[in-house]
Amino acid sequence: MHPRTTALLALFALTAGPAATAKAETAPQHLLPQSIQVASKETMEQLTELSRRKGPVGAAAKKALGVYVKHEAREREFILPPLTLLPYLAEGKVTPDMAWALAMTDRVRAEREQIFEEHTRLTDALSSLAEAATKAHDKEAKEFAEFAATDDLNDMEILEPTLLLINDILRAKLPAAH
Amino acid sequence: MCKRILLMSVVVGVAMSGSAAMAGDAGAGKAVFQSSCSICHSVQSGQNKIGPTLFGVVGRKTGSVAGYSYSPANEKAELTWDNATLDKYLESPRAVVPGTKMTYGGLKDPTKRADLIAYLDTLK
Repeated sequence: MHPRTTALLALFALTAGPAATAKAETAPQHLLPQSIQVASKETMEQLTELSRRKGPVGAAAKKALGVYVKHEAREREFILPPLTLLPYLAEGKVTPDMAWALAMTDRVRAEREQIFEEHTRLTDALSSLAEAATKAHDKEAKEFAEFAATDDLNDMEILEPTLLLINDILRAKLPAAH
Repeated sequence: MCKRILLMSVVVGVAMSGSAAMAGDAGAGKAVFQSSCSICHSVQSGQNKIGPTLFGVVGRKTGSVAGYSYSPANEKAELTWDNATLDKYLESPRAVVPGTKMTYGGLKDPTKRADLIAYLDTLK
């Protein structure tokens, strides 16, 4: 289980009493694709490191980090988990235990505009970081900002359409009860 | 006659007051480009980054840069990037091309837009 999820469950257990504890322990957890977990962790670490720098680069990185943390939380909540189904869907396997992904991918479809707006905020923040890095001749920070902006576009070009396709496949092939 | 000339002046003045008609400062526009656009766009001919090159963008048809993979929305927009269209697009990209993948919220300051367009117009 991801450390953040563990921490949230612990917090929930502490604040909600015994009944909630039992519920939290049995609540289904959905993993994220491993490659994305690693990439996301690296991005977070790099941005955190940049945010500790002094001057305009550190300030811009700190602002970008704030936007990224919110973005990542949203992705972990309902955007990334359905991607773990891709290997099965690619083999033509659709089973009732995949139904959990319907609500998540429905939400992606319903919140496309909000997701896009979040990406514009992220791009703005990365643009400010790149500008500060250019002025400070900070090659590492500039390269990071450009790489992260590319990743941002990847979400728009590949990630979101993939989730909509997953939604279509599940809607078409899951039993009608779902 | 004087009244008619005065009225025409007012009409022309109102028509010219739109930001697209404002004479922008290309030098200031270059700074706007650096701060708002350069992370995604190059100004070198043939050099596409996250976004297509902006070399020669003024007067170009939408979705027409060779080698750049456009969103379906941009590909089908059938617009020409003249000053007025650029002005509207830069203010609110998704209002002009719904579905564009350009994750940019828009440049709300009309003076900055005019400056930026003046700079883009130098890229030929």
